[in-house]
Amino acid sequence: MSDRLTLLRETIERVLPEVEGVVALKQGPGGIVAPHLDLPSRPAELEALSLWPKYPVPDTLKIIQKAHPGAKLGVVCRGCEERGIVEMAKHAQIDLANVQLIGLECVTDEATFCRCYKPFTAHATTTVGDKIEGVPDPLADAFLAKSQEERLAFWKEQFLHCIKCYGCRNICPQCFCNVCALEDAIWVETGRLPMPLPPMYHLVRAMHMTAKCVACRECEETCPAGIPLAIQFRLMARDVQQMFGYETGAVIDQKPPQLLVLEEGDYAKTGLPH
Amino acid sequence: MAGLAATFGSGAMTNSIPEFGTDTNCFLIIGSNTSEGHPLIATRIIKAKERGAKVIVMDPRCNQVASWADLYLPFKPGTDVALFNGMINVIIQEGLADQAFIQERTEGFEELKKLVAEYPPEKVQEITDVPADLLRQAARMYAAAKPAAILYAMGITQHTTGVDNVKSTANLAMLCGNLGIPGGGVNPLRGQNNVQGACDMGGLPNVYPGYQVVTNADVQKKFQEAWGSTGPATVGLTVMDMVNGLEEGKVRALYVMGENPMLSDPDLNHARHCLEKAEFLVVQDIFLTETARLAHVVLPGVSFAEKDGTFTNTERRVQRVRQAIEPIGESRQDWQIVCQVAKQMGGKGFDYASPKEILEEVSRLTPSYGGISFERLEQLGSLQWPCPAPDHPGTAVLHKNKFSRGLGLFTAIPYKPPAELPDAEYPLTLTTGRLMFHFHTGTMTRRSKKLHSEVPEAYIEIHPDDAQRIGLNGGRRVRVVSRRGEIVLGARITKRIKPGIVFIPFHFAEAAANALTNSAMDPVAKIPEYKVCSVRVEPAPQ
Amino acid sequence: MEYRNVLTTCPYCGTGCNFHLQVLDGKLVGVLPAKGHVIADGGMCIKGWNAHAFVHDKERLQKPLIRKNGELVEASWEEALGLVAERLGKVKADNGADSIGILTSAKCTNEENYILQKFARAVIGTNNVDHCARL
Repeated sequence: MSDRLTLLRETIERVLPEVEGVVALKQGPGGIVAPHLDLPSRPAELEALSLWPKYPVPDTLKIIQKAHPGAKLGVVCRGCEERGIVEMAKHAQIDLANVQLIGLECVTDEATFCRCYKPFTAHATTTVGDKIEGVPDPLADAFLAKSQEERLAFWKEQFLHCIKCYGCRNICPQCFCNVCALEDAIWVETGRLPMPLPPMYHLVRAMHMTAKCVACRECEETCPAGIPLAIQFRLMARDVQQMFGYETGAVIDQKPPQLLVLEEGDYAKTGLPH
Repeated sequence: MAGLAATFGSGAMTNSIPEFGTDTNCFLIIGSNTSEGHPLIATRIIKAKERGAKVIVMDPRCNQVASWADLYLPFKPGTDVALFNGMINVIIQEGLADQAFIQERTEGFEELKKLVAEYPPEKVQEITDVPADLLRQAARMYAAAKPAAILYAMGITQHTTGVDNVKSTANLAMLCGNLGIPGGGVNPLRGQNNVQGACDMGGLPNVYPGYQVVTNADVQKKFQEAWGSTGPATVGLTVMDMVNGLEEGKVRALYVMGENPMLSDPDLNHARHCLEKAEFLVVQDIFLTETARLAHVVLPGVSFAEKDGTFTNTERRVQRVRQAIEPIGESRQDWQIVCQVAKQMGGKGFDYASPKEILEEVSRLTPSYGGISFERLEQLGSLQWPCPAPDHPGTAVLHKNKFSRGLGLFTAIPYKPPAELPDAEYPLTLTTGRLMFHFHTGTMTRRSKKLHSEVPEAYIEIHPDDAQRIGLNGGRRVRVVSRRGEIVLGARITKRIKPGIVFIPFHFAEAAANALTNSAMDPVAKIPEYKVCSVRVEPAPQ
Repeated sequence: MEYRNVLTTCPYCGTGCNFHLQVLDGKLVGVLPAKGHVIADGGMCIKGWNAHAFVHDKERLQKPLIRKNGELVEASWEEALGLVAERLGKVKADNGADSIGILTSAKCTNEENYILQKFARAVIGTNNVDHCARL
């Protein structure tokens, strides 16, 4: 039996003639990987197809779709990326009707690296690799074992390391607001490092990720200060599940709680980005 | 660089950034606001701290790294030498020096020992304002944790005693045997992305590429043969001498590529006056910079996104820059512009097809770059010089078994005060520096909406005690006056700076810190004293 | 329709982070980290994350400029290069090679720096070559 890379390449080759392009990963100079748009006219580029490390491909898809509305595109997505695409579609950031999902199931090493609760796709009709079960998140578990005071001390120390690169926001495919609270000086004072109140940035951001985070862990991976950001999102996702019965990426036509407060038409009237 | 070259025989960062994450057990950071100047080096230090490494910060401002460091020593600007002599005094007194290393690999120790005996911590406290006990703690912490790395930046070089300061860091590192081992070393952090490369490529008046000295007859002959003709066997003028030479008429024409001396030079009013005297000024740049506005001809080059080539980072790592988009408008590749001028002036040997071919010539003529090529960089990602041959893996740690000059040289350095000291008329000490949100003269970063919104304009940092004495309330505008000029800007009152000291970032043309700074220079390295001058701050009309 | 990522080195400080420039239909649309890079390892600072922002700035110089009657006015490459060669040649002839100074750049590539110092030494004939490493 062929390995995942070969299977994925064959799958993309099959899909390519039916679409205008496929978003996948490509290995570049020095072995460094990045997202790429494979085109039917350049099949040879699939030679450099890559599986890992993963990248925020839902955002790549959005960038291309916004410039080429209506273009039919394929996208290779893992479980978390599929969840991201589904959520972005609910917020009108991606046009799901013109996307063909090519699911890539994660292997155990990848799931362990990501401390992923759901390393598999749920909606893709074409998939590559075998589905495995989720793994525990030892960091979140260790955090839960702490007292309230210890938790506060933990985050205070972690946030002190923040160099305010905005990387966690910039890389997040679910961060797409036209106006960002993190750039509003009322919440986060501009131009200061160390930030006068380091937790403000992170807590404001955490609030805004409620029922949006799909646990792709891209924020944590790009954080140069190594802040284990995914812990807070993991625990918030648990609360959202309990309080609202909502799980990001699980059901395509289930509206997220923050969109339910207003009726469809009202939402448009708020002037909020959608 | 001159300081390290004299001590070790080579002037570059001795160790590598990845080692900070994996090997270093103690960081001594002086004159570097690392999280703003070199953010991703600072974050590596965070990770090292999480595995147990110690962090000591010495700086007049309590910067971000200082806020989570194990020890923070605020000291008076310009007293670096006294600080180091004090640490060395403690380490020798308490028997913490690495005797074997001193014996086998160094010379000049006895002279150093004799001199630092005059710098007990209590005396150093008087000079630097650092409590004697804190200095002792820092000395013990550094000496106890091997390998320990010293990191510094312009905060110690931009002084009239810059070379002395650098030699002092080398004294301390050799004293504890922290050279030639992974995770140790003396590590100057370069402020601009290709300062190291510009030096490596012979963008200096005294050396050809690879630090081959212009006064050496063999070197002269080598380049004469390679190029068909070359310059004289005498050392040329430095930036400051060129600019001053314009005033005297000794220099008539200046060709400036990608530099903005009108904002980066000290004593700007003088720099403008000199540049205006140029008979012919050519500026090759991507924006109409303050310097370009004075030019007779402006040639539009391209940005990093439009070019192929290589950059060499602060740890001697050569990496590719790759063309992502076509040149904007009619702008042209910078190397092609220079080649075209060269050929029109009758130059031979300027027919290159691509930067790849230029690097091939560099590696033929530059021993330390001998094994560096586009092909290898494509495959390996990066190579650190010295890399003398195509099968050489590059060099992460310098001076492994032997210094480039043979034995490492200890230098006994007495403390000398800065060129300009505070007095009744100019009672505050101004120090200048970078912000994380901007770069150098701001030509690029101030055009980014995001970066501009973080810090849209210049400001002065001042301690609440000083602010109160002067009669400032938060957010008011102030006039800052030195013997050379004055600027008006907003005030930021903060306890993060020592009383008596004020700080201004130098990125802003409309309130240029360098209108105030002193052009007094280090006698050897010819670096101006940006980090210390005396000023007066007074409320300005609102 | 074309989207690709180009791995490159950051133009700002001396750390030497690599990142990707995201190129959509010939224009920069953003940056992406370079996971696994020896220095950056998938991270960037705020300057790196915004490194693409100035490239398409409307104030970018697009044509050579020549000072005429005190004003800088647009000119052709032919005219500008011809003028530079002629005037530098004249200064050299009148006052000697050492009356010309050349500033290379800590922001330009190794190849560009090499070519400019070679020009200074081999064509002008001076060692008056420096850059702002000291500044």
